[in-house]
Amino acid sequence: MSPRHLRTGAAALLCLAATTTLVSCGSSDDDTAGSRTTIDYWLWDDLQLPGYQDCATAFHRANPDITVKITQTAWSQYWQNLTVELVSGDAPDVWANQSTYYPQYAAGGQLLDLQPLVDRDKVDLSAYQPGLTGVWVKDGKRYGLPKDWDTMALVYNTTMLQKQGVDAGQLNDLTWNPSDGGTLEKVIAKATVDTKGRNGLDPGFDKDHVKTYGFLAEWADGSQGQNGWGDFAASNGFTFLDKNPWGTHYQYDDPKLAETIAWFKHLIDKGYAPPLDKKSALANSELLMAGKGAMMVTGSWTISTFTKPKVKQKFAFAPLPTGPAGRKSALNGSSDAIWAGTKHKEQAWKWVKFLASPECQNLVAQRGIVFPALKTATRKALAVHRARGEDVHVFTDAAAAKDGTFLLPVTENGTEISPIVQDAIQSAILGEASPEAALKSANDKANDLVK
Amino acid sequence: MSRIRTKVSPGRIAAWTVLVIALVVTVFPFYWMVRTALTPAADLYTDSTGLVPDHPTMINFLRVLGLTSQEEAQAAGGSGAHVDFLRYLLNSVVYSGLIAALQTLFCAMAGYAFARLRFPGRDVVFGVLIAALMVPPIFTVLPNFVLVKDLGWLNTFTGMVAPSVLMTPFAVFFLRQFFLSIPRDVEEAAVLDGVGAWGIFWRVVMPMSRGPLITIGLTTTVWAWKDYLWPLLTGREEQTRVLTVALGIFQQQSPNTQPDWTGLMAGSALSVLPVLVLLIALGRRLVESLNFTGMK
Amino acid sequence: MGANTAVAPPHESAGSPPGNAPAPARPRRRRDDRKAAWLFLAPALVGFALFYAYPTVRGVYYSLTDYNLLSEPGFVGAGNYRQLIGDEQFWNALKVTGYYVVLNIGSQTVLALLLAALMHRLTRSVALRAMLLVPWLVPNVTVGLVWMWLLDANLGFVNHVLDALGLGTTGFFTSPDWAMPTVAAVNTWAYTGYTALLLYAGMLQIPQYLYESAALDGAGEWRMFTRVTLPLLRPVLALVLVVSLIGSFQIFDTIAVTTKGGPVSATRVIYFYIYEQAFNYFHMGYASAVAVVLAVILGVLTAVQIRLLRASRSDLA
Repeated sequence: MSPRHLRTGAAALLCLAATTTLVSCGSSDDDTAGSRTTIDYWLWDDLQLPGYQDCATAFHRANPDITVKITQTAWSQYWQNLTVELVSGDAPDVWANQSTYYPQYAAGGQLLDLQPLVDRDKVDLSAYQPGLTGVWVKDGKRYGLPKDWDTMALVYNTTMLQKQGVDAGQLNDLTWNPSDGGTLEKVIAKATVDTKGRNGLDPGFDKDHVKTYGFLAEWADGSQGQNGWGDFAASNGFTFLDKNPWGTHYQYDDPKLAETIAWFKHLIDKGYAPPLDKKSALANSELLMAGKGAMMVTGSWTISTFTKPKVKQKFAFAPLPTGPAGRKSALNGSSDAIWAGTKHKEQAWKWVKFLASPECQNLVAQRGIVFPALKTATRKALAVHRARGEDVHVFTDAAAAKDGTFLLPVTENGTEISPIVQDAIQSAILGEASPEAALKSANDKANDLVK
Repeated sequence: MSRIRTKVSPGRIAAWTVLVIALVVTVFPFYWMVRTALTPAADLYTDSTGLVPDHPTMINFLRVLGLTSQEEAQAAGGSGAHVDFLRYLLNSVVYSGLIAALQTLFCAMAGYAFARLRFPGRDVVFGVLIAALMVPPIFTVLPNFVLVKDLGWLNTFTGMVAPSVLMTPFAVFFLRQFFLSIPRDVEEAAVLDGVGAWGIFWRVVMPMSRGPLITIGLTTTVWAWKDYLWPLLTGREEQTRVLTVALGIFQQQSPNTQPDWTGLMAGSALSVLPVLVLLIALGRRLVESLNFTGMK
Repeated sequence: MGANTAVAPPHESAGSPPGNAPAPARPRRRRDDRKAAWLFLAPALVGFALFYAYPTVRGVYYSLTDYNLLSEPGFVGAGNYRQLIGDEQFWNALKVTGYYVVLNIGSQTVLALLLAALMHRLTRSVALRAMLLVPWLVPNVTVGLVWMWLLDANLGFVNHVLDALGLGTTGFFTSPDWAMPTVAAVNTWAYTGYTALLLYAGMLQIPQYLYESAALDGAGEWRMFTRVTLPLLRPVLALVLVVSLIGSFQIFDTIAVTTKGGPVSATRVIYFYIYEQAFNYFHMGYASAVAVVLAVILGVLTAVQIRLLRASRSDLA
């Protein structure tokens, strides 16, 4: 029996077997009833959900025959879930993409090339912040329209640092290097306080009983290190790839990265940062808020976490420290892409175009959560922050600084490379392997995947 | 029911102490689950040690049952994603009920045929069927997923129950063994009365076999109730999402920075509730069925 | 998936002839129930063909291809198996699975034996047994979540207690050294009651007079346990052990909700690895090859189980 016959037979038999149930045996899972269409849309950030819900409502008002259903899945599972849905042939029509992860879907033929539609509808790509559109293009095919952008900075507890005699002025000019940690390490040491109230520079400091850690480092940070090690390594002269985007050779074996990781490990050994093996399910931002840490690296998409009125502690932002190769922040954008297998290509495109339009991006800006990709909408978001009395200029400064930013790595198989590099870095931080050895081996594996 | 020794000795006290500790360790996590579910999310930092919450609330149950607005849910520590645990509960009941009922019936039919009916090739067919015991589930999960997908049955109950309703080797084996043990006289009397094979099976053998059938049915219900991987692959959509899958998805839809513990514990408590009902209603039956068989 | 590995045969059948031998035919007319039989067997045979036999063949075929679930499979011969030999992650998965099985089965069997023996000598309470059974009735997903919360490094109850005792906190699921023992302990918690009840059921079959005569000989409880209970329980114990072993190899749910294979692959067990390869990285062909290897391992264990199943019947009947 050929597989096809077998399937038909199976279908018939099982329908027979299941007649007692409420199950329908038709194979239609079309959600188009009449001319109504539902577009499934996925994103990962719960903070951004309300803004995009606004967009969906506005969109539905303008297009009463199209409803947008938004699903948010936390970052740690977003890509895995997406892959399962793709494999099931049941992916969302439109989803938010990140630059390291999207190439796998493009390579698998799962993303719709938007270039013809952009040409047809004359979408003005010059209206977006520079550098945000090109990442989504490969071999002349365009796999997404820019959605937002972000840069990185330090966030710190002003009360705690003031108590240790560190003021905002000092924090704006921090230096860092992997050998003695520069002025940053001194500030971190001062900000670390043990249960008896001694700070990290006190000879009697008890690193086994720390009340507040000077620095909270992020170790579940994939192959990018956007929230810490990547920025520091870049300011030490490290580059991820021979060429970005679409490099074919990773450089995780660069000693400049190993030095950076070794410095982070040294912070833990000194008792200035919490050990990785005592981490809880809480994110660093929550620990910072709970007063268990004084400072961390954060991205512009988290601003509101620290500035919302409910927060009891007082926080401020400072630029990342200047390293041997200057001050470097990751500049990253996300985009909205259309699934190649969507049954509602035109409607999905309408929604993506709307997401990238001033109307929606202004709505998103209004919430003051992220910086939208459109220049005009970015200005609007800044105005919202200013109106709320929030000083967020370090993020826009970082974006504007000459040679002050770098792009996150974009290659084939990013989804698979991410855990490999993350594992290597974690094992180095845990002291299970030397940074050099762990990164060398991870780099070989990563390069096997981009060959 | 005989007790061996009744006199109080240090040994007996020690033995009872161990049993009581085992009970406490068994039950405490459930208590803590309910306690957390009754705690407002905002209190978790300040109020995570006491045995009773400072400000008990039902909000977490309400929001996992989908009875609050998005804003209320977010204010209570959730991500605001739509959840409806009542529906998932029903889906779980449908899923495990369908599998248990149909699988028991079909396996009883097969077991009866192997035990009583005469036909050429019986032992060979039985041997082949039992050999399926050797195939571990993970091995069939991958191709079965592809099969169900190709049939267009993803996210339907048909697709979700298809691989387990028709047969499972152990149940066939188990019920055949039981049918072999039934005295033949009863059936033979029925044959003389001119009752056909189906009539004998349905009206004579099945009623006599209530014990083993309930045993198989109950244990199958429990396993189906606990199933995760297969419904995760084939039934993630709202209309077929079972409790275990819903809990997994709910966990993933927590806010990025902080797991929604109070909501998760409320959802977990709801997944335990039916089990408790089952245990109270059928406790003796269930416990005794383990004297009877053991299944994995 | 569902129930498909056996432990013990129904004791009520103990009086009937075991094995495949048909019951002795009466000197009546020989019936041929061919038609009825095939009707009775039809659902089971269809189920077997479609969801056991066909996928088995298909799974083996996939393991010889580069199937990615998105496009048609291409034949690659033994390529996946060659890759597997050099795949550190695969060997690591086997290693951590083995580690888990040893921890889990070891602790679970000892504890269950202890509980069963205590119950056997102390009480016949159904309520007690029902309570011990609760963790087994609860989905592994729920069990994983509840323990993840209890053991959380900052807010978990267990860490509060440890901290209060001056022992400091531990990242039970986040430390590579602790993660696997923690997962094993959690599942031991979930399955010990169930295992204990199975062993208890086995103990109930040991004739009472053996204990009575041992007591007359002046044997203490420990002596009775080692001289009477253990030897007579051996067949049941062996069976329970093998079945738990097979189940233990297939750990997935707990890992999927707690550690997700981390930290640093310390809990990336074979089932989880297969799942990741197939559904996260589009490597269905490779995942199938890993599944074939696992199937061979489990097949051997099942063969042992079937042997024991036969042995236990003749021993206990």
